[in-house]
Parts: sequence; structure tokens; C-alpha cells
Amino acid sequence: MSVRRDEPAPDVETPAAGPYDEMLTPDDKVRPHYAALDARLSTLTADELAERQRTQERFFLLQGITFTVYGAESSTERIIPTDILPRIIPATEWARVEAGLTQRLQALNMFLADIYSEQQILMDGVVPRELVLKAPSFRREMQNLYVPHKAYANVCGSDLIRQPNGEFAVLEDNLRVPSGVSYMLANREASKRVFPGTFRGAGVRSIDRYPDLLLATLKSMAADWRPNPQVVVLTPGVYNSAYYEHAYLARLMGVPLVEGRDLVVHDNMVYMRTTTGLRRIDVIYRRVDDDFIDPLTFRRDSALGAAGLFNAYRAGNVVICNAPGTGVADDKAVYAYVPDIIRYYLGEDAILPNIETYLCREPAQLSHVLANLDKLVVKAVGASGGYGMLVGPHSTKAQQAEFADALRADPSNYIAQPTIQLSTAPCLIDHQVDPRHVDLRPFILSGDKIVVTPGALTRVALKKGSLVVNSSQGGGSKDTWVLADGKGDKA
Amino acid sequence: MMLARVADSLYWIGRYVERAEHMCRLSDVMLNATLDRSEAATQVARIALTAVGDPDVAKAKTPYDAALALALDKDDDGSILSSISRARENARQVRDQITTETWERLNLIYLRMIDADAVRAFNESSQAFLHDTIADLHLFKGAGDATMSHGEGWSFLLLGVYLERAQLIASLLEVVFGEGRRRRPIGDHFALTSVLRMGCALEPYLRAYTAEMQPRLILQFLMLDEDFPRSIRFCAQEIEAHLSAIIRHAGLAGSVGPDRLAGRLRARMQYADMDEIDAQGASAFLKTVLDECSAIHRSLYDTFVAYPLEDRLPA
Repeated sequence: MSVRRDEPAPDVETPAAGPYDEMLTPDDKVRPHYAALDARLSTLTADELAERQRTQERFFLLQGITFTVYGAESSTERIIPTDILPRIIPATEWARVEAGLTQRLQALNMFLADIYSEQQILMDGVVPRELVLKAPSFRREMQNLYVPHKAYANVCGSDLIRQPNGEFAVLEDNLRVPSGVSYMLANREASKRVFPGTFRGAGVRSIDRYPDLLLATLKSMAADWRPNPQVVVLTPGVYNSAYYEHAYLARLMGVPLVEGRDLVVHDNMVYMRTTTGLRRIDVIYRRVDDDFIDPLTFRRDSALGAAGLFNAYRAGNVVICNAPGTGVADDKAVYAYVPDIIRYYLGEDAILPNIETYLCREPAQLSHVLANLDKLVVKAVGASGGYGMLVGPHSTKAQQAEFADALRADPSNYIAQPTIQLSTAPCLIDHQVDPRHVDLRPFILSGDKIVVTPGALTRVALKKGSLVVNSSQGGGSKDTWVLADGKGDKA
Repeated sequence: MMLARVADSLYWIGRYVERAEHMCRLSDVMLNATLDRSEAATQVARIALTAVGDPDVAKAKTPYDAALALALDKDDDGSILSSISRARENARQVRDQITTETWERLNLIYLRMIDADAVRAFNESSQAFLHDTIADLHLFKGAGDATMSHGEGWSFLLLGVYLERAQLIASLLEVVFGEGRRRRPIGDHFALTSVLRMGCALEPYLRAYTAEMQPRLILQFLMLDEDFPRSIRFCAQEIEAHLSAIIRHAGLAGSVGPDRLAGRLRARMQYADMDEIDAQGASAFLKTVLDECSAIHRSLYDTFVAYPLEDRLPA
């Protein structure tokens, strides 16, 4: 770890009125790590840029990097909008992000290992007991179950944002079945084609090893008496919106992509049906939610998993990655305690800060939230994807009153945060370079060790002024260049 | 070793791709015929439509509309678009098994056929449209041949191709030469060359038998030629070869099942005698061929895809 908690955060600018811009300083100078790209852009005409944009879109379409939109009459496949201008992160900033993410996932895995065994942290009162035990994502089936290396969340995709002072903060931890890594890799493929010269000169760190690092992580979870463990990717099937990614990862890892109907559990062993009969499986990288992996243990109406899978897991004959029940650690209310969790297990301060969060379960914080409903974003704890949410500044009095009632009725179901300001990065919009709000989703692997891939998915809110980066609501993505040491840092 | 479901999908990709190509060719020949001569045109159109399984013979009077519907009708399970969509859907489900080069070819054909401009492109030049589709389907097979591992999966894909081809050619020959349906013997030179075109066999036939168009020779060529890749015999040889490759991979050698059926079909084609076929009638022979193809298909499923689990559980 090259950054230590006692070092000051680098390059913290005095908070400007507006959002932090990735390319330009507040006085409109180009930041050094963007200089090469800026120089290249000034030599390209609007038509040339548009042509590059079309080439990139065609690449995505031809590769079948699409998601399915279900309409009233027929469903169509669309590409996720991609932007050709890379987002660039210098080495020192990345070192801090990497250290912060490693620290965070290490602590969260220790937290999961603890609450699914001794529950020491609950006894010590650091995190309220009922907050954890009553969370719908808490799986008591996981109690006292051995997880190799205590690596519960093997694949984590955290959502970071850059605050107006230039510092990265964690908005959300995704420890269940995070997706988007295929877009990170595909965006890289595309941007190598679009800006080959600039790419070569910039000293961008490679992300090509993600698939083999993922495979190594998954294999490290297998029981050590099984040489050459059979790894598979479990997908809900071709109609899932992330299906492309499931097939992509299976292909790049060289392991079978299975569906629930391919699996057979017999005598607490998991097999897949092959042309030559049944073949034993050791590690399942599942891209199916907890609820659906085993109809005998979880949801009975699910056909996406395999009956008996969880018992095979309990018996130690197969490993499910990520472990079921990791969702309790990325719960919106538990999120507020993550800095405390890090301090509790590691004795360190969090390198990456949280966004300030009010827990409505605390009476004092509830009254603050109720008094400031027009300024805050209120989120239901269990919900995700922008549902059950009140965006204060954009809400009506009636909506606020409705939420106030809901808050008083069930305060522990809600948290509130200030309306966050995402940083902006240059994007190609209607043939012009224009800033748009972006976030950052890096991917962290944890098995016998924790590895942060030096790259990320940068999600873009393509509508001017919008802060919503979700692909379901007009968001797009772009490549993220993490520069090697000594490249692009401020002199 | 591969997933049974994956083998199934690869097999169906082969079948649908072959079916789409055959239908493109039939449509193309049908539309070409309408350009040349009107009397024979209806006869050719009738042959083509019957061979693709359309019972409505009245459509032969309006071959252009029939061809357009055959190509691009979304709601018709038998259209070329439907076959391409299903081939691609299967390919998407086993995307991890197919090389990117191979996938791209199939995806390209699909994207062109569902494009909003597809009907306009067809109307502008149906010949170019069909021709491009056939050429791209050849590229698909070529890309697969050049980039995919020629292992078990490849054998399942080709098994689909050759079983489908054998059945399509047998059905076409039954329509043209079968005793049951024939209204009057097809002796017309133009109609006979059209039949060869439908089997993509005109040029190879000319090299073998010159421009003398004899129904008996055409039948013999499309059924029994050893080297022509669209003869039923050639298909039977390939089916047997790919099946034994799969069985070798599976370590199932010695068991009787699809390989016995495939061997019998290959032997039937290899040792067939045209005089005997003449004596008993082409229909009876072709019916045996079609029945045996169906039996191979079923046996394939029973052995590799939908086998009973009880037999395969570890003791």
C-alpha cells in the first residue's frame, strides 16, 4: 500500500462553487494529465470526431454488446451509449483510490465473517444489532459457514464520486452481483482503436488481466484437496440484461457458462450435464441474486438456480462466489457505519470517505432530515436502482409530505444524504466537446488476496446537467485511463 | 466435454443457418425464373414453394410477393428472417463457445435483416439482397472453419448443417421427382436447370454430365455423388464422420446409437443402385432417407442431450 492513512489527501482544492472538472482547473487551465488528449482533440474536426464516434458504436453493435429493452410489442437490443473521450486519472490519485478500496473491502469481508459467526461487532455495539439482523439481505443460512480466506465478496464494484474539493468518496458498495466490468473492457478495446497514438503515449495501465485474475480469485476459493477445480459462470440466461457480460467473462476465462437447468445436485455434489454425462463443479461464479440460487433454501418459485445447491455449499462440496448474504454489508443503512467498521477491524481511519449520511432511525437525525426534506435525498434502505427515493430539490410539497409521513411511520427504513455533486468530464455531445457529470466504478477482486484492477467503468449522465448515470435512465459509459507512475502527475 | 445445452444450441445454429441458405437460394432461383420465361416460371415457383413447405400453390402466381414474405416475414416461422434470428439467438446463448470472428458474421446478417431499410433493400434488388445473404452465410461457415477449434462443438454444428442439408435436398428431390405429387414429368430444360440451381449444383453437374439435362442423371447426382458437397451421400458421409468424432470425444465408442444409424444411411447411399431406385420409385427411397435422418436426430438427443439422469449419476 503506497498511501498511508496519516498522509494528507493530495491535491485538495479549495471548494469551488461548481462541480470539480476532471480536465479543467477552476481557472480554465488544462490539467497536466489531460494535456495530450487536449492537444489531440484540437487537431480533429467535428466530422472526424463524429466519424470516430460512429466507428465505436458500430464496434459495440457488431460485437453484440447490447442490452435488451422490453417494449409493449417486441423487445429490441440496444447498445449502451458510449463516449469516445477517455476519462483520465493520474497515478498518485489512483494509488489513493486503490489503497482505499483495498482497505474497505478487507474490512467489509471481516465484518461479514464476524456477523456470520461470533457477531463481536454487534456485541460491542459498534453497529446496531437489529440493523444487521433485521436487514432482508442478512442470510441466517450463512451462520457459521466456512468461507475460504474469509473472502465473502469475491467481486466488488464500488461506486465512487469525486466531490467538489477533488477528493474521491464512496457512494455505494456493491457486494452482491456487481456488473459493468465487460463495459470497462469493451470501452478499452474501443478507445485503443479511436485514439491509438494518444493511448500509446499516455502510459495507460493495462486492464487486460482482469479475466485471468478473476479466474485465479475463483480458483483460490476452491477446496485445496481438489486439484484443477472446475469453475463455471452461472447466468440467469440470455434474457438477463447483463447476459452479454456473463458470456464475455466465461469466454475470456475459458470456463463453461451454465444456467440453472444445466445443473444437477446429487448427494450434496453439484454437477453439470455435459454431452458425456455429469461433471462435477467446484466453484460457481454466480450472476444470479441470492434469492434465486436455490429454490429449496431461498425463493421456492425460482427456476434460475439449482435445487439443493445451498446444501452442497454448506457441505463444503462447492463454493458460491460471491457468498450469499454479502448484501447486508452494502445495505444503505450499514453504509453509514463503514468508517466505524474499518476502524473497528483495522484500527485505521477510512482512506476514502463516505458521503455524509443521516440515519433516520436516530431521533436527532430524523428531526434534522424532516426539517430539511427540500434539500436532502431520502432513500429507502432496502430499495435500489433509484426506487423509493425522494430527491428533495426536485420534489413537490405533496411528495415531501408523503415522505415525511413514511419517515415518521418507519424511520429505520430510511436514510438521507445531501444532494451530491458529481464531477464533470469532457464528453462528445452532438459533435462538440462538452462537460457531463460522471462517476467511477472500479472493480475489486478478493480471494486469497485483494486485487484492484487499475481501471474502471466511468458512467456518464449524457443529459446536460443530469446527475443520473444509470444506463436505464439515459446514462452512458466511457473508458477510464489510469496512468502509470510518473505519467501525468503534477510537477 | 461440453454442456449438453451448448451442444444442442450449436447443432441448431447449424440447422438454421443451412435452412436459411437453402431458402435464400430457392427464392433467388424462383425470382430469376420469373425474369426469363413465363410458362416455366410458374412451374419453378411451384416447385420452390412446395419444397419450402408452403402448401398454398396459388402464391406461385405472384412469386415476388411470395419471395418477399419468405425472406422477411417476422411472423412466419418458416421465413429466412426467422431462421437467421433463431440461429443468432442460439449463438447468443452459447456466445462463449463461438469465436468473435464467427459471431460477427452471423450478427451482421441478422442486423441487416432486421434493419428498418431491409424491405426497401429487398425491393431495390432482391437478387443482390439474397445473394449477399448467401455470401455472408458462406463467410460465417468459413470464419467458423478458420477460427473455431475443430473439436466437439464444431462437430455438433456441422452435424446440424449436414442433417438439415440432407433433409432439404431429399425434400426438394421428392417434390421434383417423387411419383406421388407429380402432375406431369418435368422434362423442360429450363425447369431442370432451375432445380440444379436450387441445389447449388448446376456448375458441378455440368462438369460431370455436360449440359445434357436428364432427370435421371440429376437425381443420381444430387443423391449419390461422392464428392459434391450437397449430395445426400456426401451429407451422409459427413454425418457419420462428425458423429464418430463426437463419440470419440465422449469416450462412448462401441455403443450402438446414432452412429449405427448414421453408418447405415451412409452405406445405403454409398451402395445404392440407380436401377433399383428406378424400379421401386424415387419416392420410396427418399422417404427412407428422410426417415433415417429423423431417426439420427432423435437418437442424437437421446444419447447426448436429453439422456436420462439415472444412467449417469455416480455410484
